Amino acid sequence: MNTVKNHKMRRTVILFLLPAFVIYTLFQIIPLIAAVYFSVVEWNGIGGAALDFVGIQNYINAFKNPQFILSLKNMAKMVVFSVLFHTPIALLLATAINTKCKGYRAFKALFFVPTVFPLTAVGLMWYFVFMPTGSFNALLDKIGLANMVTPWLVNPDTAMNTIVFVNIWAGIGYYMVILLAGLTMIPEELYEAAAIDGASKVKCFFQITIPMLKPTLSMCILMDIIGSVKVFDLVFAMTQGGPNGLTNLPTTLMYNEAFKYGHYGMGSAIGIIILVICLLGTMISNKVMSRQEKEAA
Amino acid sequence: MRKQNKKNIKRAHKKITKGTILLYIFLVAMTLVFAMPMVFTILSSFKTKVEIFAKPFALPDTVQFSNYIEAWKGANMSQYFLNSLIQAGSTVIVLALVSTLAAYALSRFRFKGNKFLTVFFMLGMMVPIHTVLVPVSYLIGALNLKNNIAALVLIYVAFNLPFSIMVISNYMRGVSISLEEAALIDGASYFQIYRHVMLPLSMPAIATVSIFNFLGAWNNILFPLLFINDKKLKPIALGLLNFNGERGSEYGILMAAIVITVAVPLVLYLLFQEKVEGGLAAGAVKE
Repeated sequence: MNTVKNHKMRRTVILFLLPAFVIYTLFQIIPLIAAVYFSVVEWNGIGGAALDFVGIQNYINAFKNPQFILSLKNMAKMVVFSVLFHTPIALLLATAINTKCKGYRAFKALFFVPTVFPLTAVGLMWYFVFMPTGSFNALLDKIGLANMVTPWLVNPDTAMNTIVFVNIWAGIGYYMVILLAGLTMIPEELYEAAAIDGASKVKCFFQITIPMLKPTLSMCILMDIIGSVKVFDLVFAMTQGGPNGLTNLPTTLMYNEAFKYGHYGMGSAIGIIILVICLLGTMISNKVMSRQEKEAA
Repeated sequence: MRKQNKKNIKRAHKKITKGTILLYIFLVAMTLVFAMPMVFTILSSFKTKVEIFAKPFALPDTVQFSNYIEAWKGANMSQYFLNSLIQAGSTVIVLALVSTLAAYALSRFRFKGNKFLTVFFMLGMMVPIHTVLVPVSYLIGALNLKNNIAALVLIYVAFNLPFSIMVISNYMRGVSISLEEAALIDGASYFQIYRHVMLPLSMPAIATVSIFNFLGAWNNILFPLLFINDKKLKPIALGLLNFNGERGSEYGILMAAIVITVAVPLVLYLLFQEKVEGGLAAGAVKE
């Protein structure tokens, strides 16, 4: 560590920090503070136009808006099902790949690769699978399940579930790689000792792997919660929130309210609500994790 | 030695057990689910529209590249591709410069306010993009920056700074201090130390961060959606969506456009597999 003693050194440090500080403050910190302000005013979107202070009216309007309540329900669905499927499937895949069986590298690359693709491209890929004349319906028809054929992304009963499925598909690889890193940290001796004691593979999985991975698993789940709240591109590419706003999430509703209909106050209020949900998620997660660490100690 | 051999023999015998069969059934089933949309997209990109619907799962009758040629030239994908290369490339360069400078100051200098600034720079990681969309769009309007690529790059830089500074400063903290001390005794300035000692030594961390920043900029649509509406400037992920909106029924060409869009992230991942996976796990653990 270089202790900053004199004027010249202080100037050097300031020069080092200045570019990052300016860019970050201008495009992230000021907008963050302004976001709170914009959520308590009404404004027509034109620079220089009057901003009327309306207090928490935008928030009240948001919670009175059935579209917003629906988007919250969709978000809850997205979070619950992502958490239910992402981490467990990722854990099974990571365990399978960690056996270093033949071709494990190819399997790993295949499962992971969707996570580096733009989600718009992933959304479009699946859009063409699930569109009325798409390959999924063609497949159903071919294997004799023609009665299940439906316009998956248009039918109100299936549209949201289909998007949730695609989000699950697109995210599994991410958690798989994190869990794989966690698996390699478990000392091999534990398994060897268990094998000597005659424990089966399944027993080892439940008695060694899962307990040892607990911190990584809970971190995956908490990242998943926040990640699922922030889903936007997939919905934007596949349905744009339709049909009739049925597949809106708070993120897409926020975008539509602000930039399609010019309801900037309402849009900002939803933006702040998204922030609060994410912060709550992080806080609860930190609490749970520190409690776990205490228990482990 | 003999023990080792015995173990190996035992392993070899164990190879084809019920467990192994179950393992492969599981992996192959998952492979089908994962490969299906990707294979379908690639196959369709080589087919005519009639073929796509008549035989969705068959191989193309004749491999024809006309869809790619039309997507690349007629559908403006070449322009979008170049735009994204420029935008993501500049983001990576500016970020590498700005974040290493800041990371060096934060990780190697003891001064009043260091802790505060470290936390300050981390704050951004908690902020969802949607929270700041309205203010950013207001800012763009007020400063008259519509269709300004420099502004887009600076916004990407701002949003990727927290992660970049965190990873690079953590790495720099682990770099041995003796080299720096030797350079100081030789009369080097702090900027020279940054340039000739810290920067080269931090290359692994800079590379990891740069891959993530490149992918982030390549894949982003929200910011360009806000204020890049000139077709000559749009990035590829957004251009692809627009193409879908305008000519969405030309499936073969659209599939080729999707393949073109994912090709760069795919190649990057295949080239730097370890770095992408390692960086991801590292970033996750620290978050």
